[in-house]
Amino acid sequence: MSDYKLGIPGLEEVVPVVKGGTNIMLIGPPMSGKEVIANNILYSGLAQGESGILVTTSMSGEDALKWFKDNGLDLEPHKPRLGIVDCMSQTIGLAIGDTENIKRVSSPVNLTGISVGITNFFEDFWMKKQVRKARLCVYSLSTMLMYSNLQTVFRFLHVFTGRIKTADALGIYVVEQGMHDDATINTLKQLLDGVLEVKVENDSCFLRAMGMSQKPTKWYEYEVEGSKINIKYSYVRPAPP
Amino acid sequence: MIETGIPKLDEYLDGGIPTGKSLVYLIHPGVEGDVFGMQSLYHNLEKGVKGIYVTSTASPHAIRDRFEELGWDLNSHRDHLIIVDAYSALIGQDSEERYLVEDPEDTASILKTVEKALEENPRGLLVCESLSNIMDLAGEEDTLQLLQDFHKVLVLYDTVSICNFTAWPYSDETIRRIKDELFNAVVKVGGIAERVIFGQYYGVSKVDWTQTKDATMLFRVIKPGGVKAFIPKILVTGPYHAGKSTFIHSISTRAVSVNRLGTTIALDHGHIEHRGISADIFGTPGQERFDPILKLLGGEALGVFLVVDSTQPTSFPRAKTMLELTKTFGLPTVVIANKQDLSGAMKPDDLRDRMKLPRDIPILPAVATSKTGVTDAFEMLLKRIMEGL
Ligand SMILES: Nc1nc2c(ncn2[C@@H]2O[C@H](COP(=O)(O)OP(=O)(O)OP(=O)(O)O)[C@@H](O)[C@H]2O)c(=O)[nH]1
Ligand SMILES: [Mg+2]
Repeated sequence: MSDYKLGIPGLEEVVPVVKGGTNIMLIGPPMSGKEVIANNILYSGLAQGESGILVTTSMSGEDALKWFKDNGLDLEPHKPRLGIVDCMSQTIGLAIGDTENIKRVSSPVNLTGISVGITNFFEDFWMKKQVRKARLCVYSLSTMLMYSNLQTVFRFLHVFTGRIKTADALGIYVVEQGMHDDATINTLKQLLDGVLEVKVENDSCFLRAMGMSQKPTKWYEYEVEGSKINIKYSYVRPAPP
Repeated sequence: MIETGIPKLDEYLDGGIPTGKSLVYLIHPGVEGDVFGMQSLYHNLEKGVKGIYVTSTASPHAIRDRFEELGWDLNSHRDHLIIVDAYSALIGQDSEERYLVEDPEDTASILKTVEKALEENPRGLLVCESLSNIMDLAGEEDTLQLLQDFHKVLVLYDTVSICNFTAWPYSDETIRRIKDELFNAVVKVGGIAERVIFGQYYGVSKVDWTQTKDATMLFRVIKPGGVKAFIPKILVTGPYHAGKSTFIHSISTRAVSVNRLGTTIALDHGHIEHRGISADIFGTPGQERFDPILKLLGGEALGVFLVVDSTQPTSFPRAKTMLELTKTFGLPTVVIANKQDLSGAMKPDDLRDRMKLPRDIPILPAVATSKTGVTDAFEMLLKRIMEGL
């Protein structure tokens, strides 16, 4: 059984590791830095020698790569273990083919295509590259829900959360808060083991984790600085009596 | 008769699909089954058959690119290819297609457009790019009804239909009707999974115009090239100096070994191309000092060649131990009685007695240095692997 470090320093004091096979919803309002959190989790896996698969529904594969570059996160040494399933480029009519790291899918409605892309990367990393730990990040379920109904996305998620369990991998699924009703969110949550929840209050961002430690963590205030998530008031372990 | 153009499949189907009949590729999510429908379409366009392609997940433009990636140029078949565009309207895109489905979420609208296409282009092949996608948009009930209506028109216009269907967790009843009722033939396209899916296969699970053959083929998708029969991993193991590396080099189209001073110190790797079937083959070292890595090398193997030096009976117990060390005991196995050219080489039957091998494990004589017997051995192992799926 593998353990996964999320790679968010302040948070790791209360959630040091997440068990292999865990599927997590990352949910928060727009402009709250969800993207940075998701990318950090993915990158920290790569930096530890794991493989990483990113499904992008609203950004091209090239733009995703560029984000890491612009933020000083060097992907070069990790490229053999990085796969991007790009569901955006062809949707907007760009006639570009696959690359070593990017597989294109015609549109977010093409769940069959997405599933093939993910599966191919999984196989390649496991069989050819012999990498035994993997993170999958789907960015985002919300866009998928714009193209397909809840039941369809639920079936997709059902299959892939299952695959994450069998593969002893880590799954992160991003959801935009405010775009869906509670019933939709709750339906999706049934398939997931934990939630990373983000909120914005008075221009400050807060983060908490549920389902990954015994109780939900408290809300941590954080700042986004470029590619970094800085938890402001880090958890201080109570002094032993 | 319309051929599927998938290796071996037309053989299993007794030549192909008769007019008025329908076939579904029932695809395990994640397995590259969508290429099957594309390959069947392109195969027939090449033969001058009219092909109607119902797209529902991509614009006609993107579809052409996808075919091109596989090495198939649709532009050269303009006269014979008819696209029914059940996608553009969904995302509010303009379409220049003559057969445009106005409302892809409404099965009546799909049926109307397909019927028009069939009426104007009868006696060909209709391929549905993703029936499951239509089902996702239009609902399970309506789509099952649509299939029934489809089949009536198929017969009317002397057409054959092929559908790709990804088997997402739909209701049991839906899956049952797809499998048992709504198609004349069902070809299952599945994945072999341990912790990840590492092998893909297909086989006929139902056909109503001929005897169902219990045959399965492993495959991968090559770009360009399409669906090709392929075995992802065959393991070669056996005692020190038995001739494993030599065997791999003689059976492979190309191979590399990591050897030092005449013995294998890491592994051998070869690629086999034989009668349209390809395979990747991996060899282990034989020396005992490498035993700790053997179990890593055996993972995900689908079949095993156990190579023994027929002149060295003292090494036979070691041979059996190696099946256990590589954790491949119980997989389809063929024993290679190697070095038959040397005097004192035991014949396969004697070897079987000596090794106490059960009857159902084939033992084949070979001389790896002169490539004698290696092709027979490959065909035998293939047969065992396919039977075991
Ligand atoms: N006469 C004869 N010699 C053979 C035959 N097959 C292999 N040899 C010889 O046997 C020796 C060992 O062959 P290898 O292929 O290196 O054996 P191996 O099983 O890979 O050996 P290790 O990796 O060291 O365990 C070489 O000198 C080969 O030329 C055969 O069929 N007949
Ligand atoms: Mg060797």
